[in-house]
Amino acid sequence: MKMTAMTEVTTDNLEPPSVPPADSPGEEEHSAGIVLPDLAERPTELGETVGNIHCENPFMVAKNVDVYYGDNHAIQNVSLEIGKKEVIALIGPSGCGKSTFLRCLNRMNDSIESARVTGNITLDGKDINRKEQDPVALRARVGMVFQKPNPFPKSIYDNVAYGPRIHGLAADRAELDSIVHTSLERAGLLGEVKDRLDEPGTSLSGGQQQRLCIARTIAVNPEVILMDEPCSALDPIATARIEDLMDELCEDYAIVIVTHSMQQAARVSRRVAYFHLGLLVEVDETDKIFTNPQHKLTEDYITGRIG
Amino acid sequence: MKTAKTTLEKVEAGLPRRRRKEMAFRAIGVLATAVGVLFLGVFFATLIAEGSSAFRQTFMQIEVELREDVIAPGGELDLVYADFDGLVRTALREQFPDVSGRSDRRQLYRIVSAGAGYQLRDMVEADPDIIGSRQTVWVPAASNVDMLVKGNIDPDIDESLRPISDKQVAWVNTLRDAGKLERRFNKALFTNGDSREPELAGIRGAVMGSALMLVVTIVLSFPIGAAAAIYLEEFAPKSRWSDLIEVNINNLAAVPSIVFGLLGLAVFINWMALPRSAPLVGGLVLTLLTLPVIIIASRAAIQAVPPSIREAALGLGASETQVVFHHVLPLALPGMLTGTIIGMSRALGESAPLLMIGMVAFIVDVPGGFADPATALPVQIYLWADSPERAFAERTSAAIIVLLGFLLLMNLAAVIVRKRMERKW
Repeated sequence: MKMTAMTEVTTDNLEPPSVPPADSPGEEEHSAGIVLPDLAERPTELGETVGNIHCENPFMVAKNVDVYYGDNHAIQNVSLEIGKKEVIALIGPSGCGKSTFLRCLNRMNDSIESARVTGNITLDGKDINRKEQDPVALRARVGMVFQKPNPFPKSIYDNVAYGPRIHGLAADRAELDSIVHTSLERAGLLGEVKDRLDEPGTSLSGGQQQRLCIARTIAVNPEVILMDEPCSALDPIATARIEDLMDELCEDYAIVIVTHSMQQAARVSRRVAYFHLGLLVEVDETDKIFTNPQHKLTEDYITGRIG
Repeated sequence: MKTAKTTLEKVEAGLPRRRRKEMAFRAIGVLATAVGVLFLGVFFATLIAEGSSAFRQTFMQIEVELREDVIAPGGELDLVYADFDGLVRTALREQFPDVSGRSDRRQLYRIVSAGAGYQLRDMVEADPDIIGSRQTVWVPAASNVDMLVKGNIDPDIDESLRPISDKQVAWVNTLRDAGKLERRFNKALFTNGDSREPELAGIRGAVMGSALMLVVTIVLSFPIGAAAAIYLEEFAPKSRWSDLIEVNINNLAAVPSIVFGLLGLAVFINWMALPRSAPLVGGLVLTLLTLPVIIIASRAAIQAVPPSIREAALGLGASETQVVFHHVLPLALPGMLTGTIIGMSRALGESAPLLMIGMVAFIVDVPGGFADPATALPVQIYLWADSPERAFAERTSAAIIVLLGFLLLMNLAAVIVRKRMERKW
């Protein structure tokens, strides 16, 4: 794995911060042997985001975003840039606000009545929360894949064709057919389902269902794909297939993925953002985060001391 | 020192007590179910025992000479004024030539139904060429004769205690011995409207009234109820007002039905001046009655649609209306329809509110439209149960059997609709 390389900040008696082997970052035996680095300048408190929130070719830019669920201040003053055709992973303990932030990016929080979003999020330079922005049009550009595979109880074909149909993307049946085929092919599912497009999407296995959901999302040809723990309900083999798929998809789309698996973040993403208690603690290149985290909380999390 | 018990010993010590409790609970469950089944069995058994005889009716054979001078005096046929009853009486006198005296003859005339004359009239109307000929016809016997033949009137008790005299019993026996008395299928029960004569009374008017009412009810209550449920569940902002509406809808579902009848009387008849006793008003009242039931069932069905489906559609860029009509509604529809059919079967069995709007009137004609005076099946049952004639008792049970049959059909439809739609999603 990439992050086993040693870093320059370690003091003499520090063992390399290793990544916990499983999805469960709470395993205690790991933290027991690790001695914390004693660096005076190293931030340990929550506050300003450390690292680099900027990227070379920003496509979506969030500035000072706050989200409230009623009285609950779910995320506080988060600023982050998401580049074109890059994979960025959002990690952090449960309830830290990473999914909330993800849902801000295509305004899925609109459907939650108590949610209030302030701050500024732009897509290609335009505010997505501006009055004349129709959330329907936004979601056609910023697609989403959910934690649990949620195909519609319709046929495989209709699942993929639904998005193009409601947005009027295909002029005729032949064009729709070709969109469905291309999308299934890009999602790596065509070979498995091409003879049974009429069967219900719910008859597929969990991993296939999730790939169907991805095919359904890319059928609309979005520019950004948001993935909210897309592999948490899948076995390792299906997970590996989805991760391979992400590698291919990032040639065309920006992908924002929320994950609890640090190996997954390390494998698929170019940048990683670590959230903690509603704050964005640290953002940096994936290598840097996993080998040389600037913030003590980040290190604690990736070494399994909190989570 | 006493050795401490191991966990296993402790568990085993408690096992018999646990088993006893389990057995006791099972026994109570079986008992409760058995009581329910027993009462249901008794209910159906008595109903069928009481009511099945009403599906057959005693007919008697008479030989009538359709004399032209009686039916069409002066060569002109007037069906309304022609004395068909006179022909029946003559036929009876010919059958029993030794009956003399006014009171005896009057008794003799009473063994045949008042409907016999109408039957002759209908025959002549259908085929005027038979005037002047001699016809052998089977006409319904009077209800008391029917009861006697069916054994519901005991001929051995004192004459003053039964509605049929010794002489009448003798004539009936004579007819029976001559093979001129027969039990046949009681067609009148299904083709006639209500009547004061039990042997002529039928449920067709009531069935038509109920059907017309249900048409009004389903046409109004399903769209209104479904639209209200969708709005409340999917679009209405959650506020104090929506809470208030929800509480009120739940309350309305529990309001006694007669209150809806009073509301219908005040609003539809007194204020809007709609016709009394009409299926239209009955349907409107039943709509009010079933709306809360349909709204509650529909909301439950909509709530049961998994939120992940909504999110998936929203995430693809479907508008809220598209989410509702493309995804939520198709999945919720079986539940909504089931709720509606159950609401309809409640409406079909309802009688109290209909009493308030005049559908309890004695109406002989079968209603042909929504504004015609009509009664409903449950109200017909109430009316017959209230009638003193012995023959109405079995007809009441028969009407109940028919009503239960309709309810069974509707509930069956609910099950089938559910199964069909679920398979198709």
